[in-house]
This record gives sequence, C-alpha cells and structure tokens, in this order.
Amino acid sequence: MRITVRYFARYRSLVGKSEEELDVPEGITVGELIEILKERHPVLKNEVFAEDDDLADVNVSRNGRYVRFDEVLHDGDIVAIFPPVSGG
Amino acid sequence: MLSERELERYDRQIMIFGKEGQEKLKKAKVAVVGVGGLGSPVAYYLAAAGIGTLLLIDEQKPELSNLNRQILHWEEDLGRNPKPLSAKWKLERFNSDIKIETFVGKLTRENIEEVLEGVDIIVDCLDNFETRFLLDEYSQRKGIPLVHGAIEGTFGQVTTIVPGKTKSLREIFPSVREKGGKLPIIGATAGVVGSIQAMEVIKLLTGLGEPLLNRLLLIDLAYNTFDVVELR
Repeated sequence: MRITVRYFARYRSLVGKSEEELDVPEGITVGELIEILKERHPVLKNEVFAEDDDLADVNVSRNGRYVRFDEVLHDGDIVAIFPPVSGG
Repeated sequence: MLSERELERYDRQIMIFGKEGQEKLKKAKVAVVGVGGLGSPVAYYLAAAGIGTLLLIDEQKPELSNLNRQILHWEEDLGRNPKPLSAKWKLERFNSDIKIETFVGKLTRENIEEVLEGVDIIVDCLDNFETRFLLDEYSQRKGIPLVHGAIEGTFGQVTTIVPGKTKSLREIFPSVREKGGKLPIIGATAGVVGSIQAMEVIKLLTGLGEPLLNRLLLIDLAYNTFDVVELR
C-alpha cells in the first residue's frame, strides 16, 4: 500500500524534504512505519529517535488526527511526524 | 464599569467583542509563567488588550543573549532586574489602567497553590517540560485553562487545555525527553507563537471564535506552514 509521510520542524530539516510517498507492507502500524523511516533516513535514527527506542520523542498524526504507535495504517493515509518542542 | 478613558483606549476591539467582552478582560487575572521569548509578547499583548490583572512569574535575570527575542527586557536590565520586575516596569508605563503582580522565583509543588491563587487562566511560556507538567497538574486539579506554547528555531506549537473538555498536556506529550542545552531561536518565532497564545486567552475570556481545544497548531515559519492536528 502507498502512504504519504510528512515531516515537521527539525525532522524536515534533517530529512531535507517536507513529504514523500512510500510503498509499505499492508496493515503496518505507526510504530513499524517509524522503523522503516529510521532505515530510510539514518539521520533520524542517529540524531532524533533514541537508540533504546521507546520512540518517546516522536509525535505522529494520521490523516490529521493524533495517534499512538499501535495505530494500524491504511492505503492512502497521510502520516505526519513532528517532535515536541520545549523552548520558550 | 469601564471608564471613558478605557472605552476610548479599547474602542477598536470593543467593536469586535463589545463592552461586555472588555469587562470580562478587565475582571480577569491571567498568569504568564515564564517572562522570556514567549512571555514577552504574551504579557505585552495582554496588557494592551486590558487584562485587569497580569501575574508575571520567572526566577531569572535577563542576559545579553536573551535580547534577540525577549523584547520586554532592555540593555539596562541585564543582570540587574529579575524578568518579572523588568517587565512590570515597562507594562505599567504602557498601560496604567491594569495591575501587574509579580513572583520572582521558581514554581514548585510546594508554592504553586499560593502563587497561582485566584488566577483565571494560565499561559505556559516556559522553556522546560518539568515545570510545564507541574502547571498541567495544577490546571487539572483546579479546573483552570492552560494555554500551552513552545518554540524552537523557526518552529512553534500551541494548544489550549481546558480540564474536562480536552486532553491534558501530559496526555498529549506523555514522555517528553528534555534535550537541554542551548536551543536555537529567532525572536520573530516567539512573536508569532506568543501572539497566538495571547489570542487564545482573549478568545477564552470573551467567547470569541474557537480556541485551539483538542487541536495542536504546528507552525514552521521557515516554510510558511500552519497545520492543525486533531488531538481527540
């Protein structure tokens, strides 16, 4: 199935683009998609997502709704990933 | 009751939410927690709008490298006047019809009840999630709205927490890891995000429009993107 991934804030700078379309296995979860993204963009793995990998630092929305990592994805979904920022 | 002077001063916004709306702003007490990059525009615009009482909270004194964004602090304040006092001095000269209260110190579990006593809305202008979660717990316990904002670089986020109606900040960001260290930031980013937070306060108090309830606004000024994520 085909999905669109959108990158926000520093993820956008690290990946170097705002979005991309990806072919991914049917019925994968958000958590599994994150693993695919880490393989595809090692810069995310090294600089953003922790090695121990509880994915604590990544927020994800699916079709404009905030979702958890066990959410199952469907063909045509638009998934956005964004970091929580903390400055003030 | 609004005075003749207040009716004239706030004329252009009374056109939007009426004298009743202006009375609501005048009766309100709003806490601005953190008087830095976000706190400066938030406090400035809330003072301009005629919020009756502003409570400014911060424990730091301004440093030179703060001045690219913390526009309520000037060179003469560096290392001298704690941020709430520095801001109070300007805001009182800007709008003498409102009251500016200050707390110079760090909010803690022990003092939060006393410091935030009587506050109608809390504006989160902090730079760390540890204290944000303390505000969040207090907001939930007391049923007081919390307007969250955060910035980094050219990026910002805003959402408004209303206990009982929306998710709490902890539910939205369950396990934030603090990066620590110096974050990059352009002052205008703080200006945009802080202005939106000030609008959220005015919307909550007057009933104007739709506050960002269960919605997270994500802004990237480098790429002109404004996205709203549904949090339900």
